[in-house]
Amino acid sequence: MPGVMIVEDDLSLRELLREALEKRKYTVVTASDGREAMLKFRPSVIDIVVTDLLMPEEDGLSVIMNVRKIKPETKIIAISGGGKAGPGSYLNIAKTLGADQVFSKPFLPSELVQRVREILG
Amino acid sequence: MKTSRKSLTEIQQGSPEASEKNLPKAQQRDSAGLIAGGIAHDLNTILTLIYGYSELALEGLDPAGENYRNIKKIIQSADRAKAITGQLLSNDREPDQARMKVPVRDALRETLEFLRPLVTDRIIFREEILAHDVCVSANPVQLYRVFLNLARNAIQAMEAGGGTLTVTLDTRNGDDVSTLPDGKQAADEYAVIRFADTGPGMDGTTASRMFEPFFTTGKQNLGTGLGLSVVSEIISSAGGVITVTSKKGRGTVIELLIPSHG
Repeated sequence: MPGVMIVEDDLSLRELLREALEKRKYTVVTASDGREAMLKFRPSVIDIVVTDLLMPEEDGLSVIMNVRKIKPETKIIAISGGGKAGPGSYLNIAKTLGADQVFSKPFLPSELVQRVREILG
Repeated sequence: MKTSRKSLTEIQQGSPEASEKNLPKAQQRDSAGLIAGGIAHDLNTILTLIYGYSELALEGLDPAGENYRNIKKIIQSADRAKAITGQLLSNDREPDQARMKVPVRDALRETLEFLRPLVTDRIIFREEILAHDVCVSANPVQLYRVFLNLARNAIQAMEAGGGTLTVTLDTRNGDDVSTLPDGKQAADEYAVIRFADTGPGMDGTTASRMFEPFFTTGKQNLGTGLGLSVVSEIISSAGGVITVTSKKGRGTVIELLIPSHG
């Protein structure tokens, strides 16, 4: 089954998204920030990365850049709940850096799962 | 009767912005934007959890059942909160564009219906609807937010000893309105919405500051104290006025006058 990496600093949300994706039989790897994400990223396992943008340690924008360097064909979904520049700005930057899709929080996990399914084909 | 009566203009004159005269306006806005953005980010994450677990809880439930309906109400409440965080993040708030004709009675009843299951039997709601068809030009989400904040305030004031919250809806001719700020022209007619509680009441200082941003007595569970400052801003932008009448030991009455529409 396709592998999904979830990068999200909120533990509850990370586990909710894990549960939603594992129910649909995806292989799920989670990380609480960008640094941990890059330690756990395995090109042979991960087909799509779902990353929050605003996180401590290393943020989602650096995740996008690093993943693109290691395995350019990885699909990436960026999510954000807002912040200094508002969700519009961070998400637009994420698109510029190569995110395939962007999501503003809050969203229904089922919407995210549907989008993962569509992107992976 | 010893009362503390403040018009909206008088309340606004005591706002923190007036006391931060040495900070450039742009810097004040940037700081406020940072705070708002940070709050909205955290709230949006929490809302995603609310949506997600509500969605999971709905699975397998009978759509005709009570639990299904209750969870749907949770989702509806999350929708309202989502609209509010969206406003917090919006750099180009243009409330006029989001206004529409809103039946006030419906908005009030929806507020009370939402709050009723959340209060104990010691708190009684009373409705006095004397004008059934009056409408105002407002953003419905913002209007709901105003009513919710004022009703919650009244409920919290009565939590310890119980009491009655009376919500009144009426109209008033513009010629009979005496509480407009100087220079403000009266509308032809106003919707009058009154929230009266039988709580402990407020002293003059508290009543005069209750609409200031971040002001809280510390006894309330209002978090940052942003709620009532937003209320005053919304009513002001709708061309309305808020008056507060309160006496220690005799409860509080908050009256909104909003120009009626249509």
